[in-house]
Amino acid sequence: MRFGVVQFPGTCDERDAARACSMVGDAELLWHADADLKGVDAVVVPGGFSYGDHLRAGAIARFSPVMGEVERFAAAGGPVLGICNGFQILCEAGLLPGALLPNTSLRFSMRQTVLEVQRTSCAWTRACETGDLLSVPAKHMSGRYYASQPVLDEMTDREQVVLRYASDPQPNGSLDGIAGVCNAAGNVLGLMPHPEHAVDLLNGSADGLRLFESVARVPAA
Amino acid sequence: VELEVEDPSRLPEMCEQLLANPLIEDYEIQT
Repeated sequence: MRFGVVQFPGTCDERDAARACSMVGDAELLWHADADLKGVDAVVVPGGFSYGDHLRAGAIARFSPVMGEVERFAAAGGPVLGICNGFQILCEAGLLPGALLPNTSLRFSMRQTVLEVQRTSCAWTRACETGDLLSVPAKHMSGRYYASQPVLDEMTDREQVVLRYASDPQPNGSLDGIAGVCNAAGNVLGLMPHPEHAVDLLNGSADGLRLFESVARVPAA
Repeated sequence: VELEVEDPSRLPEMCEQLLANPLIEDYEIQT
């Protein structure tokens, strides 16, 4: 499987994301100004501070030429993973419901979190079991997930909440402890914690690798 | 956000599509 890792001005986690992808397949960087996904099989929108978080995190990046292609790829069922700033970008682009607000602490939060898997039919959690606990680091300023109650009810009905914080206190004050959500089809996942930083036991956890393995090695049911 | 625009009638559209996220932000236009 070939992964494409999108790079915007201000992205800073593309190398770790590419390394995580390369542990289960091949990986190459996709430049934001190129409306070309180069025929990859899966897309990762990594973390960082695209366009310096000007206006709002992800607000400018969603208009990049590459994002038009990502939207078409996702609409055709292609697997897309947004991590941290990538999650914010996918929400701004309307590929995922909701938005990310500043942490309730109004401080940058950086800590190891424990995530509980809620749904395993999502393309990125197929290698997991419901209830699995994943140790993954989080680092962000605006990670407090928010969606209106009607949208949240709809997401619940469609099982779009894929990951919840199981560690207490959670890092940002997210609604219902939501750490990661997918689209209705289950091929697009966004989460605030960083699975690409948890792919080697030397860093304390390799649990994050299971998300990449899900797409690369576990066929859809 | 302070802007110089040629067509102020497009300001609501600009707010809805870029300058604000209506899901989480209110906005007011002053000219």
